[in-house]
Amino acid sequence: MECIITIDLGTSAVRIFAFDMDKKVIGTAKGSYPTFHTQPDYSEQDPEQIFITVLFVLKNFLNEKIHPAKYAVTAICFSAAMHSVLPVDKNGVPLGNAITWSDNRGKKEAALLKQSAESKKIYDATGTPIHPMSPLIKITWMKNNDADRFRQTSKFLSVKSYIIQQLTGELNIDFSLASATGLFNIHSLKWEEDALRYAGIRTDNLPDAVPVYYNSARLRKEFQNLLGLPATTKIITGASDGCLATLGAGVWGEGKATVTIEQSGAVRVVGKEVLKDEKQRFFNYLLDENYYVSGGPTNNGGVIFEWFARQFGDFKNAYDLDDCIAHLMQDVHEVAAGSDGLLFLPYLLGERAPIWNANARGVYFGINFKHEQQHFVRATIEGIMYEIYSIGKTLEEHRSINSLSVNGSFASMPFWAQMMADMFNKPVSVKDNSNSIGLGAFLIAATSIGAYAKLEDAAKTVDLPEPYKPRKSDHAVYMKYFPIFERLSVKLADEFDALSALNE
Amino acid sequence: MNQFHLQHNQSQELVHFPYIVEFVLKKNQTIQLGSFTQLQQQDSFCVYYIIEGKFDWVINGQHYVLYPGDTAMILPGSSIGGANDALDIGIVAWLDIHLNVLYDHGFDDEEKRTIEKVLLRNKEPVLPRLNQTGEILKLLESEIFNQEIGYAVRVKQLVEELFITIARQLSRQHNPYRNFPQTFMKLEQLLRENLAHQWTVAEMAAIVGLGNTAFTEKVKSYTGFSPLNYLINIRISEAIRLLKRADVNMTDIALDTGFYSSQHFSTTFKKLTGYTPSQFRKNNIKA
Repeated sequence: MECIITIDLGTSAVRIFAFDMDKKVIGTAKGSYPTFHTQPDYSEQDPEQIFITVLFVLKNFLNEKIHPAKYAVTAICFSAAMHSVLPVDKNGVPLGNAITWSDNRGKKEAALLKQSAESKKIYDATGTPIHPMSPLIKITWMKNNDADRFRQTSKFLSVKSYIIQQLTGELNIDFSLASATGLFNIHSLKWEEDALRYAGIRTDNLPDAVPVYYNSARLRKEFQNLLGLPATTKIITGASDGCLATLGAGVWGEGKATVTIEQSGAVRVVGKEVLKDEKQRFFNYLLDENYYVSGGPTNNGGVIFEWFARQFGDFKNAYDLDDCIAHLMQDVHEVAAGSDGLLFLPYLLGERAPIWNANARGVYFGINFKHEQQHFVRATIEGIMYEIYSIGKTLEEHRSINSLSVNGSFASMPFWAQMMADMFNKPVSVKDNSNSIGLGAFLIAATSIGAYAKLEDAAKTVDLPEPYKPRKSDHAVYMKYFPIFERLSVKLADEFDALSALNE
Repeated sequence: MNQFHLQHNQSQELVHFPYIVEFVLKKNQTIQLGSFTQLQQQDSFCVYYIIEGKFDWVINGQHYVLYPGDTAMILPGSSIGGANDALDIGIVAWLDIHLNVLYDHGFDDEEKRTIEKVLLRNKEPVLPRLNQTGEILKLLESEIFNQEIGYAVRVKQLVEELFITIARQLSRQHNPYRNFPQTFMKLEQLLRENLAHQWTVAEMAAIVGLGNTAFTEKVKSYTGFSPLNYLINIRISEAIRLLKRADVNMTDIALDTGFYSSQHFSTTFKKLTGYTPSQFRKNNIKA
C-alpha cells in the first residue's frame, strides 16, 4: 500500500501525518522545539534543534507506524510557518538562530517603510503587509542593526528551506512561502527588485523559488538508510501552513471563507485575483501559481483565552490547563449573548488586521456591579470573536462570504463554533486544524505526483461536516454591541500610544 | 524553652553527629552592637528559624525582615548578619549542617544531587511561614538531649526531613503550576547552560516541581519526547552546531555536550543522524 507523509514545521512543533491514497489518516506524531525570547521583541529558534526534532520524530514515526504496517512511502511533502528568516554563511552554516514570524525587532524599520512612498508599490507587488513579521523588514533590520551578521550572510533562508536542504542537499523555497517574505513579486513569480534593494540584498542572497509541486529532490543516502526509505521517495517542497490550512479546510470557490483560531488566528479566502485594499489591511499569498489565499491575521486568538485561564482559572491538577479551561467553560452558558453589557478588546499582544496597531492593548469595558466571573469568561471569548468578525467584515467589502469553515483548537470547541455562527450569521463547519494543514499538504503532494489532474480537483474532494446554524436572536444582540467594540478599538488609539510611550 | 549552644568538636551531645556543625537556640534579650556582624558561611548549609521577635538581616547584601515562622537558608559561600551588626531581640534557632557528611550516611547519589541542585539554584534565601522547620528543630532538640532508644537514627532522619521539606518548598515556590510552557522553558535554559552535566529525570522533575512520573508524562505530552530523549535532542543539536565550526575538536564536543566519551558520542550520533560525527563534519565544512 502506498502512503504520503506530510511534515508541518509549525511555530512550536513539527507535526507529521501519514495519509493513504484515499485521504485517510494512517497515523500522526509530533515533537516540539523551543522559542527563545532573549530580548523583549525577539523570537528565535535553533535551526539544528528543529532539524534534529524533525529527524527523530520522523524516524520513530516510520519505525512505529509505517514500516510495520508495510506502507510504501511515495512522497514526503512539507509545510511550514510563514515569515521565518535564517541567515547562513557561504558554506550554508547558520549564523545564529532563525528569526520567527512573531519577532518584533523590526518595529522601527516597518514604521519607516510604511511612511515612505515605496510602501504601496512594495505591498502591491509582494502581497505581504509592511510589518515586523515580514522577512523584508527583518533583513532590513539586520542590515541596520547587526551589520556583521548581515555582511557574513551568503543567503537568507526560510526554516523549511534549511530543513529540506539538510535532508536532500537541494536549496530552494516554494512560491507560497516566498510570497510571504515581502520580497517576492506575487504577479511575476520573481524576486521583487525594489524590495530587495530596500533590504540591501541581491537575488543570489535568496534561494531559488520553485513551484509548490516541485518534487525532484531526493533524500541523501545516509537518511535513506537511517529512515528505511527508498531512493525513489519524492521530497515535495509544499507550501505555507496558512495556505495549506485553507486548502485543507475545503474552502474553494466563491462565497466561502476559512477561520483559524489557534494561538493566533486568521480569516482567509481563496481566489484567482488578489484583494486590492487601499489601506493595505490584507495579505495576498500564493497557494500555487494560479491561486491566491487572501485575508487578515490576528495576534490575539486562543493565546488570550489561555492567558485568562492562567490568571483567573482554577488549577486543580498541576499544569492542567485543559482541565482549567473545561472548568471555566462549564458555567459560561448561564450568561446570555452580550455578557450583560461587558465588552472586551482582546489586543493584549498588539493587533494586526484590521486595525494594524502594535500599541493596542486589552480592555474590559462596561464592567458593572452585577458582573461575575462567568461574565468575564464569556466576554473574553466574545472579544476574541468580535476581533475575528471585524476581519471577516472588512474582507466582505471585497468578497461575498456565505459560509465559514473553521479550524484550530479553540475555534473547534462547540461553544466557540456556535458563537461564530451566531456572530457572522452564517453556517460554520468545523475541521481540525493540524489535520487541515496535513490534508492540504497531502492534496498538494497528490496533485504533484499526478493523482489529481489539477489542484481544483483535489480541493473539491474535501468534505465538510454538518455546519452549526446561526441563531437570529443572538446575532441581533452581537450586532448591537459590535459597533461599540469597533469604535472603542479606534477611539482608544491615542490612549494606547500614550500608554506605550510611558513604557518605552 | 531553654537556650542551648551545641558545637561540633566541643559539645559531647554531637559526638555521634559529625555532620552537625552547630545547633543553637538563642533567646536574645538585649541589643549588643557587634553581636551579629556579617559572616561568611563556610562549606556547610545553615538553616535559621525565627521563633519570636522581628529580625532585620542582611543576607548576601540584600535586606530582609524576618518574622516568627520564617526560615532563612544560608548556602555555602553566602553571607549573613544583622542590619545594624547586632542581633535583634527575640528567639531564633539555627542548625548548621555539612550536607556532604550527611550524604555519606544516607541519601543515594541521585537524591543528593537533586536536593543540592534545588538548594543551590535558589536565589531567595528567605522562606516565609514555613512552620515545619520549627517543628522539626524542636523534635531534633528533644532527640539530641533526651537520647532515648534509637536517637542516633532519629536525628539523622530529622535532619534529612528538614532538607527534604526545604527543598520541596523551594521547588514548589518557584512553580505556580499554571504555565507549563513557561516552566519548561526555564528548565530548557538550565539544561542548555549546563549540557555537560549528567542530568537525571529526578533532578529535572525537581526543578519543575513535579514528581518523576507526573513530570515524565507532562513532558511527553508537551514535547512528544521522554525527558531524556528531549535532552538528547538538545545535546545532538548543540553537537551539530559545534561540528560545523572547524575550531572545536571532537573530544571537546563530546564532553561539552554531555557524552561520556568520544566513543559514546560517536555511536549515539550515528544512531540518531545516520552519520558519524567526522563524516558529518567533513560534509559540512568545505575547505
